[in-house]
Amino acid sequence: MKIVVAIKQVPGRDTPLRIAENSRWIDESEMQWAMNEPDAYALEEALLLKERDGGEVIVVSAGPERVASTIREALALGADRAIHIVCEDLRRRDALCVARLLAAAIKPEKPDLVLTGLQSEDLGLGQTGVIVAELLGLPHATMVLHVERIDSGLSVKRELEEGWFQSIELPTPALLTIQSGGNKLRYATLMGIKRARTKELRTASAPELGAEDAPTVGLDQISVPKKQKSTQILRGTAKEAAIALVERLKTEARVL
Amino acid sequence: MMTAFLPTLAEPQQFSGWERLLFAELAVLSLAGFWKQLGPILGNILQSKKDPGFRLFPIGRRVRDFVWEVLLQAKVIRERPLAGLAHAVVFWAFCAFALVTLNHCAAVFGLGFLDPAGLVGRFYFDFAAVFAVACAAGIFGLFVRRFVARPKWLGEVSWESGLIALLIFALMVTYLAAFFVAASGTAAQVLWWAHTLTLLAFLPVIPHTKHLHLMLSPITVFLSRGGFGEIPPLADDEDFGLVAGKDLTKLISLQAYSCVECGRCMEHCPANNTGKLLNPKEIVLGLRGYLNAYGPTSEEPLLGKYNAQEAAFECTTCGACEYQCPVGIEHVPIIVGLRRGAVNTGAWEDQRGARLFLTLERGANALGISSADRDKFVDKNSLPLFDGTQEYCLWLGCMGAYDPRGREIVLALVKVLRYLKVSFGVLRKERCTGDPVRRLGNDLVFQQLAEANFETLKQNRVTKIVSICPHCVRTIQEDWKAYGTPPEVEHHSELLSRHLHRLPVQNLEKKEKIVFHDPCYLGRYRGIYEEPRSVAAAARDLVEAPRSHERSFCCGAGGGLAFLGEEKGQRASQARAAELAATGASVVGTACPFCNTMFRDALVEKGDGAPELLDIAQLAARGLPE
Repeated sequence: MKIVVAIKQVPGRDTPLRIAENSRWIDESEMQWAMNEPDAYALEEALLLKERDGGEVIVVSAGPERVASTIREALALGADRAIHIVCEDLRRRDALCVARLLAAAIKPEKPDLVLTGLQSEDLGLGQTGVIVAELLGLPHATMVLHVERIDSGLSVKRELEEGWFQSIELPTPALLTIQSGGNKLRYATLMGIKRARTKELRTASAPELGAEDAPTVGLDQISVPKKQKSTQILRGTAKEAAIALVERLKTEARVL
Repeated sequence: MMTAFLPTLAEPQQFSGWERLLFAELAVLSLAGFWKQLGPILGNILQSKKDPGFRLFPIGRRVRDFVWEVLLQAKVIRERPLAGLAHAVVFWAFCAFALVTLNHCAAVFGLGFLDPAGLVGRFYFDFAAVFAVACAAGIFGLFVRRFVARPKWLGEVSWESGLIALLIFALMVTYLAAFFVAASGTAAQVLWWAHTLTLLAFLPVIPHTKHLHLMLSPITVFLSRGGFGEIPPLADDEDFGLVAGKDLTKLISLQAYSCVECGRCMEHCPANNTGKLLNPKEIVLGLRGYLNAYGPTSEEPLLGKYNAQEAAFECTTCGACEYQCPVGIEHVPIIVGLRRGAVNTGAWEDQRGARLFLTLERGANALGISSADRDKFVDKNSLPLFDGTQEYCLWLGCMGAYDPRGREIVLALVKVLRYLKVSFGVLRKERCTGDPVRRLGNDLVFQQLAEANFETLKQNRVTKIVSICPHCVRTIQEDWKAYGTPPEVEHHSELLSRHLHRLPVQNLEKKEKIVFHDPCYLGRYRGIYEEPRSVAAAARDLVEAPRSHERSFCCGAGGGLAFLGEEKGQRASQARAAELAATGASVVGTACPFCNTMFRDALVEKGDGAPELLDIAQLAARGLPE
């Protein structure tokens, strides 16, 4: 099975976020970057499928020069080759623009399966994967935890709300957006990094791909959420505190 | 003449032609048997890979180790005085007998160079006789120990050891008996032949058994890498650690064949003593078994039939085994090497281990907490930021920056530093030193962390570091060398003991007893034993645990194991905490935030009766004005 995994490089979890002077974006100068976690799970799912049934895993990612480090990480983890869509102005592009880039790069590969994380950890739009499916004319399923190959195509397990799961079947080719936590992520190894050096990493620019890049959504301003502290400490004996807690859960939080 | 009173060795004066022929034939046979065993072993050692980073010079340290450990047998005696002394006299007798034996064999061809009647010869033979008596007694003692007392470290009773003891005993007796017979009689002839036959029988047995150590271990001790628990660099792009036989280096193979199976390593191993699979002795013997079966160029994985992956990952890298080993085996680099082989190739699959690696790939600390939390701690306590003007960079470490008890230690140290007017500052972008991943064998993440930290230190012009964590200190000082030149670094116990005379703690009344636990990475790894003790002794009445100083028993956290599970057997921390509590001390003194966290959990079981747990920084801060 030929699988394409679309990954995104996002700010590392531990990196301090500062708003840039123009308030239009964050200050990227001292940022550390990491692979978007749901995408890491998508890659893991692809690698597991490859290990089980054979095939090829191709990674595709859009972004400036720095994105190459995340692509190399994906190659080190076991992807066979990669396509880097070089574009310096990723943040100017909305989900549709990015999806057009990805779709243009993926289409000539004619994959059996396209995987991506269900959303990015930075913008959290959750749209890109689904739009790619639409652009490529593929059936899709979202929030997938587990994928299995069957004779008619794929059997997938989706996560629904309140602890419910849904099992569905769909034909290939298809696109799935993967939820975090379905598998255990593998760690990058020294051997993987060394082997990755010899793997193909092709670059393509937006004009080369011929993707339309006029954004339909513009970003006006970003701001830090206002801090609200509403911690209450319930004093008294355990029993008194418990009664007070239940009372507040009923009247203030309205969850009981 | 005085020599007239000395006993004289009876040596046959004449050997017939057939005796010479028989001796020559037997000697050739014996040597052939000897070589048949030894040849393949030497072949395996010499065909092994070159040791990356090995340097013979400076040679002074090697000569010193050789004299101390081999010639003086100091390590053997110190650890087990009685058995050690018995072993030492056997060894010294062997040395004394080198000339005697040469002369003995030369005599058959009329080429003897020591004349039993001459002054020098007589003197030397008598000198050797004294050793022979001691050796006979020594080997008898060792025989009794091995076959009657049978300490469990020695493993199953082996008939080979019995045979060897018998042969050595026979060699001594046949030598000594020759002082009581006439040189001209048949008796001298019979004794000469009895001695000779024993000798020729002994020779081929040596390389066949663990007694090979008597030839190899002096070389092993001399050539050992030296730096305690030092992890060697990887040779090249295709070196991922000890994956298969082809990765075994000459030193490792030499060490594998040098093991004498005395079991000192397992006697002191925290894993082995608490019911884990790991036995350092079996790791070494496993490599020997592997070499005998597959050889040093094999692609067969090392972790498999002869060594278990589980065992390799139960090691806390406390180094008790390496410290005790009398034949120069460096267990820690071997065990870490096996882990490197498994981790660098992705063969090790462990949920907690993988989580630690991912945490450190993505974040800055091993605990997986956001660095914003660290910033809050730094800001809330107004810790000054290091800007290049202060004397010390106070390295917080993961425990000092994120762990609540670790923070208490840091704040106590800060209080002391402020009182002493020692200038210091902390870094904003400090990352884990890489200690846990280094010891678990993840070279990739270790390199990333070391390089990122070097960059931060350079930007901030750090020249001197002080840290509350012996693991940070060791990793910065030694392990980072692979990627740059680390700044000067010391453990807070060193700084505190230097300034102790200026602290009010020493004037306080001492009522309660304190027992100090030596952290492995401060004691065995850094040789710091007295500095933290001086602080502890200033604060309380210092008592010692049964195992202390070089023999200290690990808390169980080292080697990255603090981040893995300890599912099998008893927890090392509980075994050690019980031992510390049993001293009756009301305070357990520590000097490592990892030991602290391990004992904190272990002492909870004791409830209210548990001794208080305090770091030496907290002790040093006693009596300081608020």
